[in-house]
Amino acid sequence: MIMVQYPLTVNMHALKRVFRRLLGAFEAALTWLYGWRWNPLHQSGTVSVLMLLVLLVTGLYLVLFYRVGAPAESVARIAADPWLGSWIRTLHRYATDVFVVASVVHAVKMFSNDRSWGPRTLAWVSGIALFAIGMILAWTGFVLAWDSFGERLAREGGRLLDVLPVFSEPVSRIFAGDGPVPNAFFFVNLFIHIALPLGMGVAFWLHLSRLARPAIIPPRALAWGMVAALTSISVVRPAPLGPAADPLTLTTSTPVDMVVAWWLPLTERLAPGVVWSLVVVIAVAALLVPRLTRRARVGSWAPSVVDPRLCTGCNQCPQDCPWDAITMVARDDDRGTLVARVDPALCVSCGICAGSCAPMGVGPGGRTGRDQLQALRSGTLPLLHQSNEHPIVVVSCMQAPESHREALRALGAQLHPVSCVGNLHTSAVELLIRNGAAGVIVFGCPPRDCVGREGPRWLYERMFNDREAELQPRVDRRRVQVATMAAGDREATLAAYRSFAASVAGLDAPSAPGVDETDALSDPDLYLCDPVPLAERLS
Amino acid sequence: MTTSLQIIARRALGALTAAAVLTGVAWGSAVPLHHHDAHSAYLRLSWSARPERIEVCRTLSDEELSKQAEHMRQRMVCDGTFATYALRVEVDGQMLGESVIRGGGLRHDRPMYLLRDYAVTPGSHRFRVSVTRREQAGDVGYAGAVVPDVDTGRFAGRAAREVSEHARLARAAIPAQLVLDSTFTLLPMRVALVRFDAIERRLEVRVDRSPSS
Repeated sequence: MIMVQYPLTVNMHALKRVFRRLLGAFEAALTWLYGWRWNPLHQSGTVSVLMLLVLLVTGLYLVLFYRVGAPAESVARIAADPWLGSWIRTLHRYATDVFVVASVVHAVKMFSNDRSWGPRTLAWVSGIALFAIGMILAWTGFVLAWDSFGERLAREGGRLLDVLPVFSEPVSRIFAGDGPVPNAFFFVNLFIHIALPLGMGVAFWLHLSRLARPAIIPPRALAWGMVAALTSISVVRPAPLGPAADPLTLTTSTPVDMVVAWWLPLTERLAPGVVWSLVVVIAVAALLVPRLTRRARVGSWAPSVVDPRLCTGCNQCPQDCPWDAITMVARDDDRGTLVARVDPALCVSCGICAGSCAPMGVGPGGRTGRDQLQALRSGTLPLLHQSNEHPIVVVSCMQAPESHREALRALGAQLHPVSCVGNLHTSAVELLIRNGAAGVIVFGCPPRDCVGREGPRWLYERMFNDREAELQPRVDRRRVQVATMAAGDREATLAAYRSFAASVAGLDAPSAPGVDETDALSDPDLYLCDPVPLAERLS
Repeated sequence: MTTSLQIIARRALGALTAAAVLTGVAWGSAVPLHHHDAHSAYLRLSWSARPERIEVCRTLSDEELSKQAEHMRQRMVCDGTFATYALRVEVDGQMLGESVIRGGGLRHDRPMYLLRDYAVTPGSHRFRVSVTRREQAGDVGYAGAVVPDVDTGRFAGRAAREVSEHARLARAAIPAQLVLDSTFTLLPMRVALVRFDAIERRLEVRVDRSPSS
């Protein structure tokens, strides 16, 4: 693997490794506790969206009873309603907290997994915008309640805004106490609180615009589970409301939402100019992450390329590409079909297309179907031929935990790593079976935690549901299995392997190693998918 | 069987962890954070008032006026700046703060917006707040000038209106000297507010005498 780094990015990569290790340990612990299907860390982005939906629904209820003319009184009335108001207001608040936490986790995960640069720059930058808008929304929301915490936030906001040459009269004087806080102040806050989500919608659209088939909300069971859990804690422990704001009365302490306003104790002690400088530095640093974390587009980061001589114009790779990086264009030769073209600016080098192309004509350099067969012939097949028995071959993602692979090796499995199981060409599986493997079990990452986004999904479809490039009918499906390998649940990995091994043991002995290596698999033309004629495509 | 029990135990531990995390969220959502000491009190100065304009005015001659377009024939023209003020805050004869205040905006022609908090020990004190203009008044101000009204037709009475407008602006401006000298009791956790009464043209204090709840 060729690794070329830009000089300024070296420290960033070290930081990524630290985060990856920390997050990995945390993810493993959560998988151990909940199983990979229910691991919320695999769903950090969708959990954020779920919380936004909760905020939207609860916010609609709250705005019905909020009065800009009597903010503190109306919120106190809502909080005093034990049937709906109390827990809906609390749920609104707790959902804000979870949104902030999930968003930060999502950003750290993307950063540590090298998903913050190149084609993902737009998603990163729009994600930063989404988070910033979310924080402003939270700020205005707390101010709207106009309790002691809301007043404290409002004063801090006024103090910071007053150093900017924006307002003709200092904002802070609104809270001086020489007159009631004008209704217009709460109206403006409410307007911002309601209007900004529309801006959020635009940022969200940009955030997902480069993804094909984006996952927006968590799996239903997890989503409802989280909502139920948050509702339960909202009922059991309603969020306290501080005393109504009074500009001429001091408070010894304020119930501060430290998840959202963790910065408040710090900024209150700093001069506004220093705070703004810090904000600018942090914002610039966040926006520069794509620049500082970028990789040279060579080796494992090289974009996919199409070999036009092999491309039949079947239109499968554009359908499978999780980033919409492939389009079909007219050929420049006399063949009557289209040809695939990869946009390197959109391609993230996931290699999913390599597994989707029956004639093996597309994929990142070194990872096309042909490269995979070549790697097998030079690596795993000789080991199979040397073996007196018929081992089970475990194909696993390179991201898979090493401890699991070691345990599988100890059980006698022959390991064959691939960059992502979504890259795996079904011909590689066939080649293994035809060369004496008793069976092939492919361990993918948890579906929502795949760096290629849709690797496990397309793998399964190609293996068992005849999605192009499908595993050929001549391959005994009883000798093929697809499973999930999640850090933190080694028992599940081993159980899946043992179960597969037991089922394979009951089958007849496979063909002798080495006898079939030079047949159809050396001639991809024998299992090409059907090309779509150009005229039909254009119509 | 053992595996099933292990999974059940693991999920139970997961439920407990979820409960702990939710409790953590609930706690983190309302952390009591220190704001003011229990024996705090503040003297707050807050007002918005127009600074006095210090200007030198001169009467244009008929010849000078005739060179202007008819609607531009203003007999009295003035040039000047806005006053700055020395603010002194004393408590029981001890200086609490001293500074210069001026109008807002880059040209200082906007109203003076003041918002200052001074920490004071609760109790009865003598407070003295003074605001004193730092500049001398102009030699020839508008108010003292003679403005012969030579306009006729649709501009008739313009000079008188100019005088009236200047007088209104002068009345709206903060006086050359403002002093608040008062003794009152400041309760703990309370803010005494000193503000400028634009109608009475004087400083006044608002003190809440009920104890903080």
